[in-house]
Amino acid sequence: MILSFCVGCFFTAHAQEASKVQKQPEFLKSPIQWLQTSELPAESTASTDTKKQPGWIGSTLNWFQTANLPGDLQFHGFASQAYITTSDNDVFGNSDNGGSFGLTEAGLNASMRPLPRLQVSAQVLSRRAGEGNSGMPRLDYGFMDYRIYSHEVNQFGIRVGRLKNPFGFYNDTRDVAHTRPGILLPQSIYFDRVRNISLSGDSVQLYGEAAVSNWGTVSTQFGAFLPIVNDKDTELALIGTLQPGHLDRDVSYIGRGIFETNDKRLRLAVSGIWLNTSYDPRLRSGDPIGSGALQFTPVYFSAQYNAERWSLTSEYAIRHFKYNNNFGVPGLNGLDFFGESYYFQGEYRFTPKWEGIVRYDAYFANRADRDGSDFARLTGAPAHGRYARDIMVGLRWNVTPQFMLRAEYHHVNGTGWLSRLDNPASEGPLEKNWDLFAIQASFRF
Amino acid sequence: MNLFQFLIRIHFSNHYLARNRTCLISALVICLLCFITEVRADSHYEIVTYRGVNQKVLSVNSLRSIFSMHLKTWPDGTKIRVFVLPDEDQLHQSVAKEKLNVFPYQLRSAWDRIVYSGTGQAPNKVNSVEEMRAMVASTPGAIGYLWRANIDENVNVLEIK
Repeated sequence: MILSFCVGCFFTAHAQEASKVQKQPEFLKSPIQWLQTSELPAESTASTDTKKQPGWIGSTLNWFQTANLPGDLQFHGFASQAYITTSDNDVFGNSDNGGSFGLTEAGLNASMRPLPRLQVSAQVLSRRAGEGNSGMPRLDYGFMDYRIYSHEVNQFGIRVGRLKNPFGFYNDTRDVAHTRPGILLPQSIYFDRVRNISLSGDSVQLYGEAAVSNWGTVSTQFGAFLPIVNDKDTELALIGTLQPGHLDRDVSYIGRGIFETNDKRLRLAVSGIWLNTSYDPRLRSGDPIGSGALQFTPVYFSAQYNAERWSLTSEYAIRHFKYNNNFGVPGLNGLDFFGESYYFQGEYRFTPKWEGIVRYDAYFANRADRDGSDFARLTGAPAHGRYARDIMVGLRWNVTPQFMLRAEYHHVNGTGWLSRLDNPASEGPLEKNWDLFAIQASFRF
Repeated sequence: MNLFQFLIRIHFSNHYLARNRTCLISALVICLLCFITEVRADSHYEIVTYRGVNQKVLSVNSLRSIFSMHLKTWPDGTKIRVFVLPDEDQLHQSVAKEKLNVFPYQLRSAWDRIVYSGTGQAPNKVNSVEEMRAMVASTPGAIGYLWRANIDENVNVLEIK
């Protein structure tokens, strides 16, 4: 009898919960009401927590997403702040000396559909991250998308404007903390050191989606673009030193195909970039480097399996660098080598609110010289700058659907993907084995 | 409730008449029956559209494409407008898992990918079944889902094949 009582209690409690979910306050229908309650003095105490903001911010955001704006206009955005501390070496600021709040990301986007087949979208992004990114807002993307053909799951269309570069699983939304697996993306594939080159470009893209018998769908994107290479980080990474000249934007190509089963459990992708750029020296000021051209052609293979509680993800990249003989510098002329990167990652959803993550991420600047010993012998520079092996564990707490907190710990062997701008030679040599701990708060709507 | 008391009685008798296999099997059968009735109770919902939408029948794949925000227009060329309840809502979870055969978190990450890359739009969020019914009934091209008990003549029920 006690048992049947317990069961009875459980079921009534459950039923109450279910009915609660369905009877949510309809503050949307009566905007005057919520305005009045939120203006009560008792509500406006200073101790109000960021995560509990049912007042005007929450309501305004809700209005953005539910109101019937003309042309199906929508606004979305995000803002994140991280605190990073390292045992040695700097990541996004002076992190090895008591930690730093050097990583701030914020974005706002708008999209609308003036015609059923036409969508216009734009996003402004501000990213403050160490020496490489000052936080100056820039146009992240801004383009028109016209759907030429659409029949059931088969779609075909064209996009023109500044577009996110489609490669791997995460590049398209890499600055939105909610969509990333961790505070730091796997750096071997998604370098933050040379992010601008791979971030977005002014391009024309064709895209399509087609059913593959009854198994799933294949989505493809292919485009020609002018890469964004006019920043110091990219110049340092490709030329090795900062010079008076600059890198030119040459026509480049990018493509990605993703196969996804109908239940979205299995996702497989192949992406490739054919990036062309050339160095434009300022001859008058005595530039030591000549007008050489280089090709960077990475290929990425991605795989993911999603179950209800867990997801497994792995990506592999092989990166081909090819320099011609016009640089006039022995270190660059005729350089031709392959870099290699990969990671394995497991995510586990304990509850919809709590998620755990583990990852092993490996980077090799030159796959023919994985331990960097040849490089060290030739240049005298430390070998650990040519690789990095990163073990990471992290925890994520989805406090509300909009607000998220997380923490992660990395142990890294090697300094291959550290930013040269954040770690200049004047600050002394880099430490081969180092640790990183980071926490992050993120809000999105 | 009767069913559960019955089940418990069987469980008890099973305990006293140890090694009585028939009791155990019948208990299992009843458990299974409970499970099946529960599943049936969950499917008491329908995919509904605005009354002006001409489409009466839709394939599962097209439905998934619509709720993934990839298919944006009805066959007659008019805009599709998708309405969804919050991720943690019981009806939303049932529709995602049973009708679309995807987990709610996968829909969320698919929406995030298109919203923050500009390649699509987010579905319109409603906060209650009542609001869902009101919005689908009043928005041209709208599609959503409702418990059968909440369906009235102001919305069309879509047949999914």
